[in-house]
Amino acid sequence: MINWLVRNSFQRLVLLVIVSIMAHAVVHLAPGEPSEVDPTNPRMKAEDVARIRAAFHLDDPIHLQYVRWLRDLASGDLKSFKDGQPVVEKIGQRFWNSLPLFLVATLLIWTLSFPTGIHAALRRGSVFDRSATLTAYALISIPGFCLAYLFIMFMVNVVGAPVIGMRTFGTEQASTMLQFMDRLWHLTLPALMLALGGIAVLSRYVRAQMLEVVGQDYVRTAIAKGLDRDRVIYGHALRNALLPFITMFGLMLPGLVGGSVIFEQIFAWPGIGRLGYEAILARDFPVILTINFIAAVVTLAGTFISDLLYAWADPRIRLQ
Amino acid sequence: MRRLFLFAPALVVLALVQAYFWVPTYDDQLRRNNARAGTYIEGSIGDAKFLNPILNSDTASSRITDLVFEGLLKLDEEWKLAPALARSYQVSEVAYLGLPEGVEPDTYVDTVRAAIAKSEADWVENVVQVRLTDPGRREVQATFENTENKTETRAVDLQLPPRLEFTLRRVDQDLAARLEALLGQHFPTRWEPHSFGQWPDEVSESARREQALAAVPLLEHNPVIEFRLRDGVRFHDGHVLDASDVRFTYDAIMEPNNLSPRRADFEPIASVQVLGPLHVRVTYKRLYAPALYSWTMGILPEHLLGVATRDEGGMRDAPFNRAPVGTGPMRFVEWRGDELITLEGFPGHWQGRPELERFMFRVLPDLLTQELEFAAGALDSYVPQPHQVERFAADERFMNFTANRPGYSYIAYNQRKAPFDDPRVRRALGMAIDVEEIVRYVLHGEGDRVSGPFPPGTPWTDPDFAPLRYDPEAARQLLAEAGFQPDPDGWLARDGKRLEFNLITNNGNPVRKAIMTIAQQAWADIGVKANTQVFEWAVFLKDFVNPGAFDALILGWRLGVDPDMYQLWHSSQTGFAKLNFTGYEDAHTDRLLERIRREYDRDRLASLTRELHRQIARNQPYTFLFARRVTYAMDRKWRMVEADGGLVPVRAARSGELFYHMRHWRKVGSGAAFSARTGQ
Repeated sequence: MINWLVRNSFQRLVLLVIVSIMAHAVVHLAPGEPSEVDPTNPRMKAEDVARIRAAFHLDDPIHLQYVRWLRDLASGDLKSFKDGQPVVEKIGQRFWNSLPLFLVATLLIWTLSFPTGIHAALRRGSVFDRSATLTAYALISIPGFCLAYLFIMFMVNVVGAPVIGMRTFGTEQASTMLQFMDRLWHLTLPALMLALGGIAVLSRYVRAQMLEVVGQDYVRTAIAKGLDRDRVIYGHALRNALLPFITMFGLMLPGLVGGSVIFEQIFAWPGIGRLGYEAILARDFPVILTINFIAAVVTLAGTFISDLLYAWADPRIRLQ
Repeated sequence: MRRLFLFAPALVVLALVQAYFWVPTYDDQLRRNNARAGTYIEGSIGDAKFLNPILNSDTASSRITDLVFEGLLKLDEEWKLAPALARSYQVSEVAYLGLPEGVEPDTYVDTVRAAIAKSEADWVENVVQVRLTDPGRREVQATFENTENKTETRAVDLQLPPRLEFTLRRVDQDLAARLEALLGQHFPTRWEPHSFGQWPDEVSESARREQALAAVPLLEHNPVIEFRLRDGVRFHDGHVLDASDVRFTYDAIMEPNNLSPRRADFEPIASVQVLGPLHVRVTYKRLYAPALYSWTMGILPEHLLGVATRDEGGMRDAPFNRAPVGTGPMRFVEWRGDELITLEGFPGHWQGRPELERFMFRVLPDLLTQELEFAAGALDSYVPQPHQVERFAADERFMNFTANRPGYSYIAYNQRKAPFDDPRVRRALGMAIDVEEIVRYVLHGEGDRVSGPFPPGTPWTDPDFAPLRYDPEAARQLLAEAGFQPDPDGWLARDGKRLEFNLITNNGNPVRKAIMTIAQQAWADIGVKANTQVFEWAVFLKDFVNPGAFDALILGWRLGVDPDMYQLWHSSQTGFAKLNFTGYEDAHTDRLLERIRREYDRDRLASLTRELHRQIARNQPYTFLFARRVTYAMDRKWRMVEADGGLVPVRAARSGELFYHMRHWRKVGSGAAFSARTGQ
C-alpha cells in the first residue's frame, strides 16, 4: 500500500511537470500578445513597447520564461500583467466566490439525481420514467446559456426578483440574516443552471446502474426470502449500485478550479472561470498558466483520491 | 435510507427557495431605498485594471480615474483646452540659434538686434528679447552597432559654444525661415554640432551629424508652458495640492519601473520646474503641440506615492492603484474585483460639493443581462445595440442621447502593390460601394459617412467637403482610364491580368464581415473580382497588417481629440508594424503633418487639418466608410442642477460628451415636480 502511494505520487508529479511545460509552450506559442504590448495603440512608441516587453521578459527564450514563471510562482512574486496584482492572491479571492456556486450546484446534482434515477429505475416504463427520460434528454440537448437567459428573463420581468451578480444593491446596511439570505438567493439560479446538465446526466447513470443491479440474482433471492422491499432496494441493491459513483466524487474536484465560464459570464459572477477567460483574451500569461497549473494539480489529486476511495469501498480491489 | 433520499433534496430546494422571500424586489430597491435615488449606476463589460491615471490606458479604468482625478487642464464643452487644476496657463517659447562661423558673438547679437529693430514685419512684435547665452553642455545619446552587431547607446557630451537666445511671446514654428529672410547673408549657413563632442569610434560621420542635429538643430525651439495652480485645492484625504505634486506626476510617468503607457506624451519635455508652491514651468525639447493635451492627465498625490516610487521600485504594485486618492469631484469608496466599484461625491471639492451623491460601476460582462438590469431599474443607463435603438427611443421611461464615436471604419489598400498604387483604381473601388446603404442596413442608421481622415463632429474635419459619391458607372470609366477592359468572362483585366485581389478582415466583428460581403458584391458588379477571408485578430495583425502583406483590408481607427495624425499617414511610418501600413506616401501630406505637430495656435491648426483632410481624401488611400454613433438610453428621472439651483433635464456637452456635466446630476423621485423655469 505504502509502496503504491509513493510510486503513484511520484508518477503524478512527473505528469504535472510535463503538463505545465506543455501548457506553458502552448500559451506562449499561440498567436497574440499581452494587451499591454499591443502595438495598435498609436500613443505608444516602439521604445516603450520594447521596455514593457523587457519588463515582462517576453523576449527571453521560452525555457527561461518557464523557469522564471515557476520560480515566481513558488516565491509568491508572480504578478498579473493586466493589473500588477499578485496572481495567487487574485485566484484565491475568486476561488472563494466560485466555491459556494460549486458547492450548491453539487448538492443539487447529487440530492436530486439519486431519487429521480432510483424512482425511474424501479418504475421502469411508467409515466414518471418516460417523462424523466424526456426531460433529461431535453436538458442535455438545450444549450445551458439559452435556458439561463430564459430563466433570467422570467425572474426579472415576471417575478421582479434580482438574480444578477452575487448580491442585491443597496443591502449593505441590512441585517446579517437578510444579507445571508440575499447571497443564498443569488446563488440559487446560477447554481441551478450549473446543476441542470449534471442532474440530467447523473440521473440517467443512476437509473441504468440501478436497473442492472435490480436484475441480479442476489436481489431476487433477497426478495424471495421475504425481506422488506425497501430494505432490499436501499440496503442491498443501492449499495452495490453506488460503487461507480464513488469514482465520480474525486473527478468532480477539478470543477472547483475551472469554475463555469458561461454561467459566470451571464450572471456577472466574479469567479475563477471568468478570471481565466478574461486572462486568455488579454493574454495575461501568469494568470492563465497559474490557473492551468492549479487545475492540473487538482485533477491529479482528484483521480488519486478516486483510486483510494474505490479501493476502500470495493474489497475486490487492492492497491499494489 | 429511503426517507433520506426524499428529505435531502426537499431540504436543499426549500432552503434555496425560501431565500426568495428575503430578497428585496426591484420595486423595493427603487422605492424604499433613499440611497438609490442619489446613486448613478453604470454597467460595464470589463473591470478596471489600474485606478491610477498614469498606469492605465483602458476605457474602464479611465472612466473611474476621470472622476477621481483631475488634470491641470481639461477639455471643455467644445473639445478646447481649458484650465482645471491650473488657474491659468501660458504658452511661450525660447529659441536658440547657432552663430555663423567666425563672427564675434557680441557684434553678431548687435547685428541681429538692429535688424529686428529696423524690421517692419508683424512677427517682430512677438520677440521679447534677444541675448547671448553662455557656453553650455548637452548630453546626446549616441546609438551604434557594436562589434557583436547589437545596438548600443552611449552618452556623448557636446560642449556648445554661445548661441543666440530668442524669447518669444507665442510659439512660432517658422522662426528660422523668418530670421533667414531678415538676416540675409548674416544668417548662419553651416551648423555642425557633432564637432563639439568626443564620439565613440564606431559611430560614422553621417550618423554623428544626424544624431547631433536631431538634438541641437541650428534653430532649437523650446516651447514653455507656465501653469499657475488654483489655491486651496485638496486631495480627498485633505492634503493640499501644490506644484511639487505636478512635478512628481511627471517624474512618475518617466520612471522606467512604472512602465507608464503615457510616457511617449511626456518624452518631449526637457524639464519641469517648480517655481513656487503654485507655479510650474514646463520646458519642451522641441515643437510638439499635442503635448498640451497630455496635461489633461490626472495629478497624483506625492505624499501618498512618493515612497513607493523612490524606495520600492515603482508604483505598479502600490495598494494605491486599488484605492486611489485624487482631487476629482468623486471620491473612491470600494472596489470589489470584477463586480463593483463605488465612488461618492467629494464634499471638499474646489468647485463645491457635487450634486451626484454616489457613482457605482457594475461589471456585467453580458450585454443581455445589462439590458435586463437596465429595464428593471438596477442600472441607470444602457448603450443599446444599433438594432435596439429604435425600440429604446420609443420607450417613454427613457431619454436618449446620440453622439459620434471618435473613430471610423475604412477599407485600406496596399499601395506598395499594383494596381493599388494608382489613385484612380482606389477611387473607383470606393465609388463602387454604396456606403449609405451599409449605414442604413448594417448599422440600422447608427452611423455617419466619413469623407476623410478626421471623423465628423471634431473641429478638425472639413464639414463642407463631400464624401466620395456612389457612382458605379463613373467607377467603371475610371478603371477604363487606368487601362482595365473586360475580358471574355466579363471581369476587368489589364495586360491579360485580371483585377483580382484578396479582401481580408479580422474575426469576431460582424459589421466588418457584412461590409466585406457588400464590397465583394459591389465590386463584382463593376467587374472587379475580390476574394474574401477572415482571420483571428492576432494572426491578422502578425501575418498581414504588420508586415504589410495584404491587398485590401477592412479595419477601423479609434482616435483621440488631438489632431496629430503623423503616425497614421507620414511616409516615415510605413515600416514593419508601423501604423501607416498601407504604404501611403505623399510629400504634401508629409509637410502638412509636420506643420500640424508644431502648430500651437488653434485657428491655424484647424485650417491645416482641414487641408490635410482634403489632401488625403483626394488621394483615397482608404475608402473612408463611416463613423459609428453611440446612443445612450437613460432613466428619464435624471436631472441636472443649474448654477442657479434650477433643475433641467440632463444635457450632453456640445461636443457630444454625455457625462461632461455629470457632477451636477440628481435623480428625482417619480412624479417629483420640475422647476418652473424649464416648464417641462
